Amino acid sequence: MSSWRDRMNQFSGRTRYVVCRLFLHLGGEQVAPLLGTLNQVAIAAQRDEGDLQTLGEGLVEICQSLLQSEVYWQSAANEGDVFWDEGAAGDYVNGLFTDSAQRYLSQPDVTPAHKDDPLVVPITRHVIVMITVAFEGEVPELESDLADISAMKEGLKALINVHYQDAIRAIQIHFSPAQLGDELTSDQILVNFPELIPL
Amino acid sequence: MKSIVSRGMLSIFQSSKSRQLVVLFLVLTLSWTTISCGESDVKNSVGTTQNTKQAQENRANTAIADGKYEVQQATYDDGDGQYTLFLLNTPPSVPATFRTENLQMAQLTPEEVTANQSAYLNVKSGQAALHIPKDFKLEYVHNVVEKAENPQTGQSETRVVRQESNFWTPFAGALAGQVAGQAIGNLFAPRHYVPPMYQSGGLFGYGGYGNSYGQAVDSYRQRYQAPPIAERNRTVYRTTQRSRTTEFGSSTPRSSFGSSSSQRSTGTGFGSSNLRRSNSSSSYRRAPSSGFGSGRSSGSRSFGGRRR
Repeated sequence: MSSWRDRMNQFSGRTRYVVCRLFLHLGGEQVAPLLGTLNQVAIAAQRDEGDLQTLGEGLVEICQSLLQSEVYWQSAANEGDVFWDEGAAGDYVNGLFTDSAQRYLSQPDVTPAHKDDPLVVPITRHVIVMITVAFEGEVPELESDLADISAMKEGLKALINVHYQDAIRAIQIHFSPAQLGDELTSDQILVNFPELIPL
Repeated sequence: MKSIVSRGMLSIFQSSKSRQLVVLFLVLTLSWTTISCGESDVKNSVGTTQNTKQAQENRANTAIADGKYEVQQATYDDGDGQYTLFLLNTPPSVPATFRTENLQMAQLTPEEVTANQSAYLNVKSGQAALHIPKDFKLEYVHNVVEKAENPQTGQSETRVVRQESNFWTPFAGALAGQVAGQAIGNLFAPRHYVPPMYQSGGLFGYGGYGNSYGQAVDSYRQRYQAPPIAERNRTVYRTTQRSRTTEFGSSTPRSSFGSSSSQRSTGTGFGSSNLRRSNSSSSYRRAPSSGFGSGRSSGSRSFGGRRR
């Protein structure tokens, strides 16, 4: 993993930046409650205007609830890169945000709600969580192929540890669907998340 | 016999093919010896790499040669947490101003004070440490900012409204200094410091300290329950959430049945980053050989080429 160039850069004392994004798709009857956790973190982030510490605590919370709902894991994917230049890492993080964001609809729904609709809330059977993190240093658990249950477990644990090591420089959390009552179908997953690999 | 050998050599050199071979061979030998020497260098210096790692832990590196420099003036900008030092009597190769985000500070020892030592900058294995007298005033540039959301990108941006000039004396907080001095153990060892919460009329003492910048920020947080100004200013928050006035849960749930044509479900995303953005206009494109992840086997592609 550590190439000749890596070693030279390390030798010259430059900071190593790792940017990684992981997708985790959960499926089953009981996955909808996870949306509550995710939305709580979203609200906390909004409240503190994106304070990285708050986001880091949210990240830990999400990773823990993902680890607890391991039985529902359906498929996963991850990607990332190593940088020796902070600017390049920042650009990559921005690119990942845009890429993650265009996989779902974030615009408010303008179609008027029918008042006489029966009070039935469809429960989604699929939830996808996308986590992007940029940190300093080296974490082999995250810099590998995570499309495997045990590797993903180790990766999520490593994410929690990275937060407590104060090495995190950027955190992004995306999830779909947005809230209870919205649905994510298997077709939409196939179309928008083609890289997912069944676990 | 001799003449036969020399004639043979001559004929080798005369044919251009074999001459090229000889040249190639020489080049290979030379480069191999160079590389192997370089490698042993790297191996030998692994120890020093480990040592400097701690020092280099945070933020930008200092681009100044090791040594001791006299300091005339120091400025701290809370917009990006950067220190600017004006150096005196620098050698011709060293510029007189020096900027860094990664600066340690220490108080002059009593011996240095009696020896009439003025403020100086000590650079050791790439880590700069500013040694200053107790009453040394750093110029403090305070950026009055407002957070505004860019309606097009949904990204909240920090805009500098105006700058105020003030001063900061890290070691002057008489009482705070004494108490903290006991807690730290030694005020004279270089450490990272974060300025206290901003107030007009001068800043005394420090808001946080630690052996690394991250630790200093943490101790600031514990004291004020908020991130330091420089950290806050540097962080960019981006979200795809609906506007703040809409409360979660109050909006009517939308099902994708109604608009079955929609290819995407709903979603929410948010993120913060305090990474610098590069100033290049070209967006990042991943090199085919770099990176890691699950999609590696199916050929590496740069962003966006994936969904088609």
